[in-house]
Amino acid sequence: MKIFIVPPNSLILYDLVERFGHQPLSIMGTLREKVTEREMEAPPLNVTLDDVMKGLKYAGIEVPSGVRGRLAVWGPLIDEAEAAIIVNDTPFTFGCVGCHRTNLMLMHLIRKKKIPLIELDYPHDEEEGKIMVSKIKKFLEELK
Amino acid sequence: MSEETETRMIMIAPTSDLTPDQLSRFIHQLGYNITIKETCYGANIEGDKDLVHKVIQEVRRLDPNRIFTKVRAYPIGDERRCRAHHGSRPGFNQMEKEWMDLPLIEAGLCAVEAGEACPEKSPSKKLSVKKLMEIAKENII
Repeated sequence: MKIFIVPPNSLILYDLVERFGHQPLSIMGTLREKVTEREMEAPPLNVTLDDVMKGLKYAGIEVPSGVRGRLAVWGPLIDEAEAAIIVNDTPFTFGCVGCHRTNLMLMHLIRKKKIPLIELDYPHDEEEGKIMVSKIKKFLEELK
Repeated sequence: MSEETETRMIMIAPTSDLTPDQLSRFIHQLGYNITIKETCYGANIEGDKDLVHKVIQEVRRLDPNRIFTKVRAYPIGDERRCRAHHGSRPGFNQMEKEWMDLPLIEAGLCAVEAGEACPEKSPSKKLSVKKLMEIAKENII
Protein backbone atom coordinates (compact mmCIF):
# COMPACT_ATOMS: atom_id res chain seq x y z
CA MET A 1 0.00 0.00 0.00
CA LYS A 2 1.00 3.62 -0.50
CA ILE A 3 1.80 5.25 2.83
CA PHE A 4 2.10 9.01 3.18
CA ILE A 5 4.67 10.07 5.77
CA VAL A 6 4.86 13.24 7.84
CA PRO A 7 7.49 14.80 8.01
CA PRO A 8 7.39 14.10 4.27
CA ASN A 9 11.18 13.92 3.95
CA SER A 10 11.81 11.71 6.99
CA LEU A 11 14.60 9.13 6.65
CA ILE A 12 13.36 7.07 9.62
CA LEU A 13 9.78 6.81 8.36
CA TYR A 14 10.79 6.19 4.74
CA ASP A 15 13.07 3.35 5.84
CA LEU A 16 10.59 1.78 8.25
CA VAL A 17 7.71 1.85 5.74
CA GLU A 18 9.88 0.23 3.09
CA ARG A 19 11.34 -2.26 5.58
CA PHE A 20 7.87 -3.45 6.56
CA GLY A 21 6.81 -3.99 2.95
CA HIS A 22 4.93 -0.88 1.84
CA GLN A 23 5.56 1.99 -0.56
CA PRO A 24 6.38 5.29 1.14
CA LEU A 25 5.08 8.49 -0.48
CA SER A 26 7.63 11.21 0.17
CA ILE A 27 8.45 14.61 -1.29
CA MET A 28 11.86 13.40 -2.46
CA GLY A 29 10.28 11.30 -5.20
CA THR A 30 8.07 14.14 -6.42
CA LEU A 31 10.81 16.73 -6.23
CA ARG A 32 13.16 14.50 -8.18
CA GLU A 33 10.89 14.87 -11.20
CA LYS A 34 10.94 18.63 -10.74
CA VAL A 35 14.69 18.99 -10.33
CA THR A 36 15.63 16.64 -13.14
CA GLU A 37 12.97 17.38 -15.72
CA ARG A 38 12.21 21.05 -15.44
CA GLU A 39 14.32 24.14 -15.69
CA MET A 40 14.31 25.50 -12.18
CA GLU A 41 17.00 27.42 -10.39
CA ALA A 42 16.56 26.31 -6.80
CA PRO A 43 13.51 24.16 -6.14
CA PRO A 44 11.58 23.83 -3.90
CA LEU A 45 12.20 27.48 -3.08
CA ASN A 46 10.88 28.45 -6.51
CA VAL A 47 7.41 27.52 -7.57
CA THR A 48 5.95 27.91 -11.01
CA LEU A 49 2.65 29.62 -11.77
CA ASP A 50 1.18 26.19 -12.55
CA ASP A 51 2.18 24.93 -9.10
CA VAL A 52 0.43 27.79 -7.36
CA MET A 53 -2.69 27.14 -9.47
CA LYS A 54 -2.53 23.42 -8.64
CA GLY A 55 -2.33 24.39 -4.97
CA LEU A 56 -5.75 26.04 -5.28
CA LYS A 57 -7.28 22.57 -5.16
CA TYR A 58 -6.02 22.20 -1.59
CA ALA A 59 -6.11 25.75 -0.19
CA GLY A 60 -8.13 28.89 -0.84
CA ILE A 61 -6.95 31.90 -2.85
CA GLU A 62 -6.40 33.93 0.34
CA VAL A 63 -3.76 31.44 1.52
CA PRO A 64 -0.16 32.63 0.95
CA SER A 65 1.41 31.41 -2.29
CA GLY A 66 4.20 29.67 -0.33
CA VAL A 67 1.63 27.42 1.33
CA ARG A 68 -0.18 26.79 -1.94
CA GLY A 69 3.12 26.08 -3.71
CA ARG A 70 4.06 23.48 -1.10
CA LEU A 71 0.60 21.96 -1.19
CA ALA A 72 0.87 21.69 -4.97
CA VAL A 73 3.73 19.23 -4.34
CA TRP A 74 2.30 17.44 -1.29
CA GLY A 75 -1.41 17.54 -2.17
CA PRO A 76 -1.27 14.99 -5.04
CA LEU A 77 0.60 12.65 -2.66
CA ILE A 78 -2.28 12.86 -0.16
CA ASP A 79 -4.72 12.10 -3.01
CA GLU A 80 -2.67 9.02 -3.81
CA ALA A 81 -2.21 7.89 -0.18
CA GLU A 82 -3.97 4.81 1.13
CA ALA A 83 -2.75 5.27 4.72
CA ALA A 84 -0.60 7.77 6.61
CA ILE A 85 1.91 8.00 9.45
CA ILE A 86 2.29 11.33 11.24
CA VAL A 87 5.15 11.94 13.64
CA ASN A 88 4.59 15.00 15.81
CA ASP A 89 7.00 16.80 18.09
CA THR A 90 9.41 17.71 15.31
CA PRO A 91 12.01 20.06 16.78
CA PHE A 92 12.84 21.78 13.50
CA THR A 93 10.97 24.62 11.87
CA PHE A 94 13.46 25.29 9.15
CA GLY A 95 14.01 24.37 5.50
CA CYS A 96 11.54 23.10 2.93
CA VAL A 97 9.33 21.38 5.54
CA GLY A 98 9.61 24.24 8.02
CA CYS A 99 6.37 26.05 7.11
CA HIS A 100 4.17 25.44 10.13
CA ARG A 101 0.95 26.62 8.43
CA THR A 102 1.52 24.20 5.54
CA ASN A 103 2.18 21.39 8.01
CA LEU A 104 -1.08 22.15 9.85
CA MET A 105 -2.97 22.26 6.56
CA LEU A 106 -1.33 19.00 5.49
CA MET A 107 -2.37 17.20 8.67
CA HIS A 108 -5.90 18.61 8.35
CA LEU A 109 -6.14 17.26 4.77
CA ILE A 110 -4.90 13.82 5.87
CA ARG A 111 -7.36 13.61 8.78
CA LYS A 112 -10.18 14.79 6.52
CA LYS A 113 -9.45 12.01 4.03
CA LYS A 114 -10.42 9.35 6.60
CA ILE A 115 -7.69 6.89 5.65
CA PRO A 116 -6.00 4.59 8.21
CA LEU A 117 -3.77 6.89 10.23
CA ILE A 118 -1.33 6.59 13.09
CA GLU A 119 0.03 9.56 15.03
CA LEU A 120 3.21 9.30 17.09
CA ASP A 121 5.90 11.44 18.65
CA TYR A 122 9.63 11.38 17.99
CA PRO A 123 11.31 9.16 20.60
CA HIS A 124 13.43 10.68 23.38
CA ASP A 125 14.81 7.44 24.86
CA GLU A 126 15.20 3.77 23.97
CA GLU A 127 11.91 2.79 25.55
CA GLU A 128 10.03 5.32 23.42
CA GLY A 129 12.01 4.13 20.38
CA LYS A 130 10.81 0.58 20.99
CA ILE A 131 7.21 1.73 21.40
CA MET A 132 7.39 3.81 18.21
CA VAL A 133 8.81 1.01 16.05
CA SER A 134 6.43 -1.64 17.42
CA LYS A 135 3.42 0.64 16.85
CA ILE A 136 4.49 1.39 13.26
CA LYS A 137 5.11 -2.31 12.57
CA LYS A 138 1.73 -3.29 13.97
CA PHE A 139 -0.02 -0.54 11.99
CA LEU A 140 1.67 -1.51 8.72
CA GLU A 141 1.07 -5.23 9.21
CA GLU A 142 -2.62 -4.66 9.82
CA LEU A 143 -2.87 -2.83 6.49
CA LYS A 144 -1.79 -5.88 4.46
CA MET B 1 18.07 11.51 -16.88
CA SER B 2 15.90 8.45 -17.35
CA GLU B 3 12.75 7.94 -15.32
CA GLU B 4 14.11 4.68 -14.03
CA THR B 5 17.18 6.28 -12.47
CA GLU B 6 17.16 6.60 -8.70
CA THR B 7 19.44 8.27 -6.20
CA ARG B 8 19.58 6.78 -2.71
CA MET B 9 20.99 8.11 0.49
CA ILE B 10 22.47 5.43 2.76
CA MET B 11 22.96 6.48 6.36
CA ILE B 12 24.89 4.53 8.98
CA ALA B 13 23.65 4.80 12.57
CA PRO B 14 26.19 6.30 15.01
CA THR B 15 26.20 3.02 16.99
CA SER B 16 27.40 0.97 14.01
CA ASP B 17 31.02 -0.20 13.70
CA LEU B 18 30.78 0.23 9.95
CA THR B 19 32.52 3.27 8.44
CA PRO B 20 31.47 5.15 5.29
CA ASP B 21 34.76 4.04 3.72
CA GLN B 22 34.02 0.35 4.36
CA LEU B 23 30.50 0.84 3.05
CA SER B 24 31.56 2.46 -0.22
CA ARG B 25 34.33 -0.13 -0.76
CA PHE B 26 31.75 -2.87 -0.23
CA ILE B 27 29.40 -1.31 -2.80
CA HIS B 28 32.29 -0.94 -5.29
CA GLN B 29 33.15 -4.61 -4.79
CA LEU B 30 29.62 -5.64 -5.75
CA GLY B 31 30.55 -4.57 -9.28
CA TYR B 32 27.22 -3.07 -10.31
CA ASN B 33 27.11 -0.30 -12.87
CA ILE B 34 26.11 2.49 -10.49
CA THR B 35 27.64 5.75 -9.24
CA ILE B 36 28.82 5.77 -5.61
CA LYS B 37 29.76 8.76 -3.51
CA GLU B 38 31.17 8.34 -0.03
CA THR B 39 29.81 10.91 2.41
CA CYS B 40 30.31 11.74 6.09
CA TYR B 41 27.13 9.86 7.08
CA GLY B 42 27.46 6.86 4.74
CA ALA B 43 27.10 6.97 0.99
CA ASN B 44 24.96 8.13 -1.89
CA ILE B 45 24.33 5.77 -4.77
CA GLU B 46 22.77 6.44 -8.14
CA GLY B 47 21.85 4.27 -11.08
CA ASP B 48 19.18 2.08 -12.58
CA LYS B 49 16.30 1.69 -10.11
CA ASP B 50 16.44 -2.13 -10.07
CA LEU B 51 20.22 -2.14 -9.57
CA VAL B 52 19.97 0.40 -6.76
CA HIS B 53 17.36 -1.79 -5.02
CA LYS B 54 19.62 -4.85 -5.37
CA VAL B 55 22.51 -2.90 -3.84
CA ILE B 56 20.31 -1.72 -0.96
CA GLN B 57 19.37 -5.31 -0.14
CA GLU B 58 23.05 -6.33 -0.13
CA VAL B 59 24.06 -3.31 1.94
CA ARG B 60 21.38 -3.92 4.56
CA ARG B 61 22.85 -7.36 5.23
CA LEU B 62 26.05 -5.71 6.53
CA ASP B 63 24.30 -4.31 9.58
CA PRO B 64 20.52 -4.73 9.17
CA ASN B 65 19.27 -2.56 12.03
CA ARG B 66 21.90 0.14 11.78
CA ILE B 67 21.74 1.00 8.09
CA PHE B 68 18.92 3.25 6.91
CA THR B 69 18.12 4.50 3.42
CA LYS B 70 15.83 6.88 1.63
CA VAL B 71 15.41 8.26 -1.86
CA ARG B 72 17.19 11.53 -2.59
CA ALA B 73 15.63 14.09 -4.91
CA TYR B 74 18.82 15.64 -6.27
CA PRO B 75 21.28 13.66 -8.38
CA ILE B 76 24.78 13.08 -6.95
CA GLY B 77 27.00 16.13 -7.40
CA ASP B 78 24.12 18.42 -8.39
CA GLU B 79 25.48 21.97 -8.28
CA ARG B 80 22.41 23.24 -6.41
CA ARG B 81 23.19 20.93 -3.48
CA CYS B 82 26.84 19.80 -3.77
CA ARG B 83 29.11 21.37 -1.16
CA ALA B 84 31.96 21.54 -3.65
CA HIS B 85 29.86 24.11 -5.51
CA HIS B 86 28.68 25.82 -2.29
CA GLY B 87 25.18 24.40 -2.68
CA SER B 88 22.62 25.04 0.04
CA ARG B 89 21.57 22.20 2.38
CA PRO B 90 18.07 23.07 3.62
CA GLY B 91 17.40 19.46 4.67
CA PHE B 92 20.50 19.18 6.86
CA ASN B 93 18.75 19.91 10.18
CA GLN B 94 16.27 17.13 9.55
CA MET B 95 19.02 14.67 8.65
CA GLU B 96 21.11 15.62 11.69
CA LYS B 97 18.16 15.21 14.06
CA GLU B 98 17.17 11.86 12.60
CA TRP B 99 20.79 10.64 12.56
CA MET B 100 20.95 11.27 16.31
CA ASP B 101 17.67 9.33 16.77
CA LEU B 102 18.83 6.28 14.79
CA PRO B 103 20.15 4.38 17.89
CA LEU B 104 16.64 4.66 19.40
CA ILE B 105 15.07 3.26 16.23
CA GLU B 106 17.73 0.54 16.18
CA ALA B 107 16.70 -0.45 19.74
CA GLY B 108 13.10 -0.57 18.51
CA LEU B 109 13.97 -2.75 15.51
CA CYS B 110 15.96 -5.14 17.72
CA ALA B 111 13.07 -5.37 20.19
CA VAL B 112 10.56 -6.05 17.42
CA GLU B 113 12.86 -8.69 15.93
CA ALA B 114 13.21 -10.40 19.31
CA GLY B 115 9.43 -10.33 19.78
CA GLU B 116 9.76 -8.15 22.86
CA ALA B 117 6.51 -6.67 24.15
CA CYS B 118 6.64 -2.87 24.16
CA PRO B 119 3.84 -1.65 26.45
CA GLU B 120 2.65 1.94 26.20
CA LYS B 121 4.32 4.32 28.64
CA SER B 122 2.04 5.86 31.24
CA PRO B 123 1.63 9.59 30.52
CA SER B 124 3.88 11.82 32.61
CA LYS B 125 2.14 13.35 35.62
CA LYS B 126 1.69 17.09 35.92
CA LEU B 127 3.56 18.88 38.68
CA SER B 128 1.18 19.73 41.50
CA VAL B 129 0.90 23.30 42.82
CA LYS B 130 1.92 22.06 46.27
CA LYS B 131 5.10 20.46 44.92
CA LEU B 132 5.88 23.58 42.89
CA MET B 133 5.50 25.73 46.06
CA GLU B 134 7.88 23.39 47.90
CA ILE B 135 10.46 23.69 45.12
CA ALA B 136 10.12 27.48 45.07
CA LYS B 137 10.64 27.68 48.83
CA GLU B 138 13.75 25.47 48.83
CA ASN B 139 16.93 27.20 49.87
CA ILE B 140 19.42 27.02 47.06
CA ILE B 141 22.98 27.74 48.16
